[in-house]
Amino acid sequence: MMDPSPKPPEALIQAITQDLRPVKPSPPPLPLAMRMVPLALVFSWLIFLAMGVRRDSGPLLTWGVSSAQFVVAMALIWIAAHEGTPAGRLPSKMVRAASAAAFVAVVLLTLLTASLTPPGGPAHGSPWIAGLACGLGSTIAGAILILLFSWTFRKSVAARPTVAGALYGAGAGVAINADWRIICPVSTLPHALGAHGTAILATMLLGACLGRIWGARRLQTR
Amino acid sequence: MSGRLACLGAGVVTGWRVLVLSTKAVTNRPPPAKTSIVSEAERELRDLMIRYQSGSLEAFQEIYADLAPGVRRYLLHLAGGLQIADDLLQETFLQMHRSRAAYNPAYAVKPWVFGLARNVFLMNRRAARRWTEVHVLPGDMPESPVLPEMDKLGCVDEVRRCLAGLAADHVEALLLHHEWGFSFDEISGMLGISAQAARTRASRGMAGLRAALNQIQRAGA
Repeated sequence: MMDPSPKPPEALIQAITQDLRPVKPSPPPLPLAMRMVPLALVFSWLIFLAMGVRRDSGPLLTWGVSSAQFVVAMALIWIAAHEGTPAGRLPSKMVRAASAAAFVAVVLLTLLTASLTPPGGPAHGSPWIAGLACGLGSTIAGAILILLFSWTFRKSVAARPTVAGALYGAGAGVAINADWRIICPVSTLPHALGAHGTAILATMLLGACLGRIWGARRLQTR
Repeated sequence: MSGRLACLGAGVVTGWRVLVLSTKAVTNRPPPAKTSIVSEAERELRDLMIRYQSGSLEAFQEIYADLAPGVRRYLLHLAGGLQIADDLLQETFLQMHRSRAAYNPAYAVKPWVFGLARNVFLMNRRAARRWTEVHVLPGDMPESPVLPEMDKLGCVDEVRRCLAGLAADHVEALLLHHEWGFSFDEISGMLGISAQAARTRASRGMAGLRAALNQIQRAGA
């Protein structure tokens, strides 16, 4: 028969007394996601400052679309924050549907901006090189944004850390894609979907790998 | 503990603290309101958790005393083995300690800790790839989340056998609701399914259990 008022084993007590410093409670998913907004905005401004915006009517025509896409990105981060809460997970079907909707929204917004803005073209070199530069550049920017996000979600206790990481990665990738549209001088559809779209997928994969690594690390540090 | 299951088919009716199946258990129970009043016990747990986050070891010990037996039985159900369940129990509370900052007082403590226990179980299963070791086959399930006093009762094994023959996700929802008293909203947050799906699973689990118990009763007669 079990002890009606069980006491924790000595080893557990020892592990706990080693680190009993006061901690600040984490905010619920929505405020947590909202905390990332200024972070992502400041990072976007830094990218703008570092790389400059494209020099035609493109930014004026597409800033609204990019803002809408930024909201989509933050929605993904909100879902990811839910995924990291043991008692606050959203239904898996809803997560899948929202991810698919975000993907469709990004494709539609890209199609819309491609039809709105002048096609432009790479200043020098082949479109392949321009595509590679954009793909790599936005993937690196997305990776930096994930690392910044990770400061807030590093202690999340997701049941599916890979999924949570992928959602954070997708959110970062979609947010960077919204910025990149205003920076990149090429608006042709193959470039926008091929190079920029691949960067979103790469950032999502990076987030998934990071989530997996952290999930495994959490288990190992017993 | 509010939720109770009754062994309907086998005819055992009262006195059970745990596995008691009532005919109106799932289908006639109104869904709990989302903004239900926080129970006294839950409020105490939240206060303890806040004290624990401020660095109180006594608060941790009280939380452990309150939740460990239930979490252990839940892990027994998930893992199906005594040894690994005890290991996972300690691992759960260790993870709780490491992630205590991730708890927000907006959430109820009990579902949060049970959700954490489930995460720990899933992570361990995934990491060690020992599904076959920890999840024994239905016909051979040695442990069910039953309280010790149930051992005195004759049809415990029958109920265990019946539960073991049902779909694992149905049994989990059934037990979370009736054994541990979680609302369907809480179960939905823990399992990553909708509240309606949680209700349906529990309902199907209950129907399956009734059918299985009736079958055993008929066979016995």
